[in-house]
Amino acid sequence: MQARENESAGATSADISSVGLAAHELKSPLVLLRQLSLELSSGDLSATERQRVLDQLIQTSEKALRLTSDLTKAEHLQPALFELQPINPISICDDITYELQRLYSAHGRQLKRSRIRHLPPVIANRDLLRRILLNFADNALHYSDESGAVELHAQLLREKGLVRVGVRDYGPAVSMKNWRELTKAMATTKPMRARPQSSGLGIYIAHQFATAMNGRIGAIRHRDGASFYVELPISKQLSLL
Amino acid sequence: MTSRGSVVVVEDDQWLAEQYVRTLKKAGYQVRHVPHALAAIDTIDEAVPDVIVLDMLLAGTTAMALLHELKSHKDLAAIPVVLATNLADQIAFDDVSSYGVKRMLDKSTMHPEDIVAAVRSVATV
Repeated sequence: MQARENESAGATSADISSVGLAAHELKSPLVLLRQLSLELSSGDLSATERQRVLDQLIQTSEKALRLTSDLTKAEHLQPALFELQPINPISICDDITYELQRLYSAHGRQLKRSRIRHLPPVIANRDLLRRILLNFADNALHYSDESGAVELHAQLLREKGLVRVGVRDYGPAVSMKNWRELTKAMATTKPMRARPQSSGLGIYIAHQFATAMNGRIGAIRHRDGASFYVELPISKQLSLL
Repeated sequence: MTSRGSVVVVEDDQWLAEQYVRTLKKAGYQVRHVPHALAAIDTIDEAVPDVIVLDMLLAGTTAMALLHELKSHKDLAAIPVVLATNLADQIAFDDVSSYGVKRMLDKSTMHPEDIVAAVRSVATV
């Protein structure tokens, strides 16, 4: 009993920072859900506005649920529980584009896949790779300009035997201070603040998922935004496709 | 309806910003929205609004950088600012009041109409 209590106390203190970050990250969607619900309950909206607010409520709750689902997955990440298999990076980009179409459209934005030439399949877990890219694309929506499209892209890094799959956003440049923190966050096993209003939890989760697939995440700072990507090993089993 | 005055909303959450804009417009204000601090300075310089509604954590640059910038412009330094933030419990009002912040709203407890009450209470027109 004593041992169990100690174990429990240890786990609690170790997890406090993660719990705090998760709470911080969930606060924004919860605040938005509350504000939209209050406005809806006021009955002071036209039919069009009402439908728009309802759609925003659905999209915001789905986004918050994606985060909680990612957190649960990251917490119980054991290699034995997921299978690595050859995956076509182009098809996963198309899946993400389709999946987030409604969210982007509700924001009046566009998520598109850049033109990609033939790429070899990568060795990955479809669910984890999907979650990484959804995370990047969710983030890009928030940090890109209202007029800026967000692009999913993939490229072959032949000399490294890797394929890089990522998301490019167009918005205000990330300050050097935030960029240094972000690149530090990419190399650590602890969540760190990456961009303003971000706890860095998304980066941490993506890092965990990428590492579990023998991959790595990275980012490129542009004058007009940023790219976030995951690099994964090429499958040698081309015959399987 | 006669305009009660003009407001610039600086908020990077697009849907929350839309709500502020809807609520303030219904209350009779002319409202412009900008999503980040870099665009905000140009818009504020051009519009010279009666009130600025400002989020604390913005994409790109934080609100503090914008507040510093506003303070450095003689004609813009006097514009009252309403800070609407998720960090209200971590910010001492005295620390931001010297930058023109007249009211602070906690996003997690405020009601939609509170934004109108706050703007009305600080507007000098």
